[in-house]
Amino acid sequence: MPLLSLSVFLPLLGGLLLLALPRKSARTAHGISIGTTGLTFLVTLAIWARGTLPGGFAQVEEIAWIPAIGAAYRLGIDGLSLPLILMTSLLFFLSSIYAARITDRPAVFVVLMLMLETASIGTFAALDALLFYVFFEVSLVGMYFMIVGWGYEERQRAGLMFFIYTLLGSLPLLLAIIGLFLATGSFDMRLWIDMPPLTGLAAMLALVAMLFTFAVKIPAFPVHTWLPAAHVQAPTVGSVILAGVMLKFGTYGLIRFALQMTPEAFAQAGQVVLAFGVFSAIYGAFAALAQSDLKKMIAYTSVNHMGYVVMAVAVAALTIDADLRAVALNGAALQMVSHGIVTGSLFFLVGMLQSRAHSREMAGFGGLLGQVPWLGWAFILSVFASLGLPGLAHFPAEFQIFLATLNAQPWAIAAILAIVITAGLYLRAIAAVFLGERNGKWADMPDLDRGEKLAIVPLLVLIVLIGVAPSWLLGMMDATMRALQF
Amino acid sequence: MTLLALIIAAPLLAGLAVLALRRAPEAIALTGIGIGFAAALALLAGTFGGNAAQLVLSGLPRMPLILSAEPLTAVFSALVATVAFGVLVYAAGYMRADPDRPRFFGTVLLFVAAMQALVLAGDWITLLAAWELIGFSSYLLIGFWHGRAGVPAAATRAFLYTRSADLGLYLGIFVLIGWAGTSEIQATLAITGTPALVAGLLLLVGAMGKSAQVPLQDWLQRAMAGPTPVSALLHSATLVAAGAILLIRVAPMLPAGALLAVGLVGGVTAVVAGLIALAERDLKRLLAASTSSQYGLMLLAVGAGVPVAALLHLIAHAAIKSTLFLGAGVFQHDRDSTYMDAVAGAGRARPLVFAAFALAALALAGIPPLAGFFSKDAIIAAALAAPGAAWLVPLALAGTVLTGTYMARALRVLWGGAARPVSGKGIGWMGAGMAPLAALAVGLGAAFAPLEHGLGAELPPEGTAMILGLAAALVGLALGWFLGPARLLGPMLPLAQSGFALAGGMDALILRPALATAAACERFEQRLLAAQLGLVRAVGFGSASGVERAEQRIHAGTLAFGRLNLRLGDRAEDTDKNGIDGLIFGLVHRTVAAGRRLRLLQSGLIHRELALTVMGIALIVVLLLAAPLYS
Repeated sequence: MPLLSLSVFLPLLGGLLLLALPRKSARTAHGISIGTTGLTFLVTLAIWARGTLPGGFAQVEEIAWIPAIGAAYRLGIDGLSLPLILMTSLLFFLSSIYAARITDRPAVFVVLMLMLETASIGTFAALDALLFYVFFEVSLVGMYFMIVGWGYEERQRAGLMFFIYTLLGSLPLLLAIIGLFLATGSFDMRLWIDMPPLTGLAAMLALVAMLFTFAVKIPAFPVHTWLPAAHVQAPTVGSVILAGVMLKFGTYGLIRFALQMTPEAFAQAGQVVLAFGVFSAIYGAFAALAQSDLKKMIAYTSVNHMGYVVMAVAVAALTIDADLRAVALNGAALQMVSHGIVTGSLFFLVGMLQSRAHSREMAGFGGLLGQVPWLGWAFILSVFASLGLPGLAHFPAEFQIFLATLNAQPWAIAAILAIVITAGLYLRAIAAVFLGERNGKWADMPDLDRGEKLAIVPLLVLIVLIGVAPSWLLGMMDATMRALQF
Repeated sequence: MTLLALIIAAPLLAGLAVLALRRAPEAIALTGIGIGFAAALALLAGTFGGNAAQLVLSGLPRMPLILSAEPLTAVFSALVATVAFGVLVYAAGYMRADPDRPRFFGTVLLFVAAMQALVLAGDWITLLAAWELIGFSSYLLIGFWHGRAGVPAAATRAFLYTRSADLGLYLGIFVLIGWAGTSEIQATLAITGTPALVAGLLLLVGAMGKSAQVPLQDWLQRAMAGPTPVSALLHSATLVAAGAILLIRVAPMLPAGALLAVGLVGGVTAVVAGLIALAERDLKRLLAASTSSQYGLMLLAVGAGVPVAALLHLIAHAAIKSTLFLGAGVFQHDRDSTYMDAVAGAGRARPLVFAAFALAALALAGIPPLAGFFSKDAIIAAALAAPGAAWLVPLALAGTVLTGTYMARALRVLWGGAARPVSGKGIGWMGAGMAPLAALAVGLGAAFAPLEHGLGAELPPEGTAMILGLAAALVGLALGWFLGPARLLGPMLPLAQSGFALAGGMDALILRPALATAAACERFEQRLLAAQLGLVRAVGFGSASGVERAEQRIHAGTLAFGRLNLRLGDRAEDTDKNGIDGLIFGLVHRTVAAGRRLRLLQSGLIHRELALTVMGIALIVVLLLAAPLYS
């Protein structure tokens, strides 16, 4: 059974089913949403059970599409994409559980969300560059309407900014894809990976184009400015998916396209990429420190965390030591998954807080830990995960990234300063919102209800599980990363 | 193997059980800690009998997690278990009236489990993980009464200070693993030369943070905001001890330059923190400053090249300091405060507790035959025999004099004031927890000889050291008893009371620059955003006519964006009402239409551009999907 295709198109089928129904009550819409995303999650688990290969792609599904130009419907997975697909289907499942409280045009919302899931899983599973590009762009449209339709006060402006930014940002990728196509006469990504077709100036131009597109998506300094705006205005589920899943398109593309398809050019430009990564990491941390809006603060920490991934990929491109390479790329791959889980959890929690208080300003809270212990402790756990505490999800990833960085490019270790800054800003946030004397204004704030716990607890469990025993993820990542030829 | 797992798992599982069940916290906690204690003693007996053991768990690829039982780690483990056991018995009484007891006991147990993982770590990742986890659990414990004013700040400060210094540990570990190609501690200790020097200095920075060495000593005194049993635990054998334990373990690797740095940091801290303790106006804060000072002496011993002297003092200090804190906690219960003025005379009302407190104080000062006497002698002897003796001996002696001085002052305050009758309630559990620790503070010295033998270590001869140390202790005690801090310190008193916060202290040197950088980033961020919006707009203007350009300038970004998108929002609503068939393409068409209308209104090319791109993408998608039909 073509499980990969099933996982990609099951959500879309769910959306179509909803469209076909004559009566679209909120109950039916959310029922279909939870059912479809849940089923998709099970399918991705089955894909996981089938496993990956130590080198190359597994579970490849291929159907001729446009033979004349060598474009085909091609899907497949390896140790880099499978963990991301698992994370994606889980985050969408939990998002649909949380979204069940949406009463404003629920049917449209559900259809958008399911379309987004198809696009997201498709982006990670595509082995055909054209297919990849289509999924990549469709996700953009879905997210745009989600922000504009269900966001907060200034949603229109933020949504448009997000759209223009990422749309213009992705055009260079199209050029690079065309360049790679012209060199090979095919859109088969495996072909481009196994034998990088471009050399010299062409390769460098393609690399620069790809780097631009992915830097916008990651987002890396200085093209990150859409992110805080989009996050602050996006509805909770939108933020979770945007930060948890869609930012990974950028870092995934950085490895799958930039590193694997133009390796020589990447090695030449490695120091520049590395410098951008280091600067993004530090800049994101400081910018986050300056925020008083909780959601904006978390958004900026994404710039910081994704900066580490950029660093790791650059380090891998620059070094020839196979062990160090594997360490750096394992760190990068795990960091993507950890960030998806941890930041997803943080955006859920801030959304839950906002839906109660209708405010995100830290200074307006205080002493909430005694009032809403579930929300408070879940937030504290997620925050400590985000600042890289051992035993929680980010530590194994960041440890490997920094270990490889210091031993391959010692100067870049300066970015490690950011882990102190993030610790500072997060502890300040905890102290301002949850500790100290209680603010009487929130005396009747309710703690998490059952639906909210259902959405958040799996993420908390995973945060601990990845932190304590990361080998179930690192095992498949390591097998793939060691076999990467570049 | 089973013992290794049990030492960590028993407190860990008990802690999780307490947190999950939220009932009978004392019983579960004492069971868990008791099992861990028994296992640690069994392990100690086993390793001294020559049975080393290892437990290997999967960690990172090619870097497994290792727990290692060798004589040195087993000694640490037994020490941690002993103190934790005593403190928890005491806490059963101390926390009796607190409604949040389950959280307290749960966190303490997690803390103990992490500390055991730290001392038993056989690889650097386990050590680092445990190192940071004890920092985290002490954050939770110091911030236990999180609703009280000042407590969140104290907890935050403790975590940030130690985490900043932890960067040294991180970097040191990266150097060691990178150089040795393995994460096993034992294997990395074979490194020599420059990498060893660099790694050694970096590890020293990490140790300075945890062991509250100058200039990173300030957080420890503020950490007194936590419950007293927590202070007793953190200060004696656990959190603060981690720094010294790390240096004792890596001592064989440290080259001469790194050793001297360790010794000097320790020696300076012994003196500076001693002065701070002398000037202190709060009993618990005095004890906290004393902790820094004593760990300074241990680092001095490591720096002198005799880590086993540091180990002996660490063990003696653990028993002594926990006794002192637990005693202070009893006085605190009686007087509801630990201010010197408030506890004056509290010792007379509880002669037994005072006796234990005084014995521990004398032991710390180094009076024979109490435990501290032997360990302090070993340190002075080590300093005398060290290459850097000219620096280390005066610092060690000054530290010893100061120890006697501030302890005598504390004794005088506790004994000297008016004795108010206490409420008559017994101290039950508190006394039961304190007694064995006090007994250890008195009698541990007898165990030192077999310990040295078991570790295969030799101490330098102690003849001169014994005389020097005893004289320094007696001088210190006499000074402290007869003269007040104002007379002893003179003009230095205000400076010492402020904790020698030179140049505004850490806040001015680090915190404010960090916040200023953050503010600068935020300002830059706004400009960057404005510039990028301007760029997009300029591209639009460039291709529009002059008239349009003038008008568009007036309709600057925000307003126009808003208008278009309000429409889009409405459309989305319409689609729902009309049924959502053809949603995507419907929206695209309407976007295009909206864009056209707005273009007629001359409010910006951006919208047209957006609409066109959406349409363009839709076209591409359609063409591609239809491709098989015509190819």
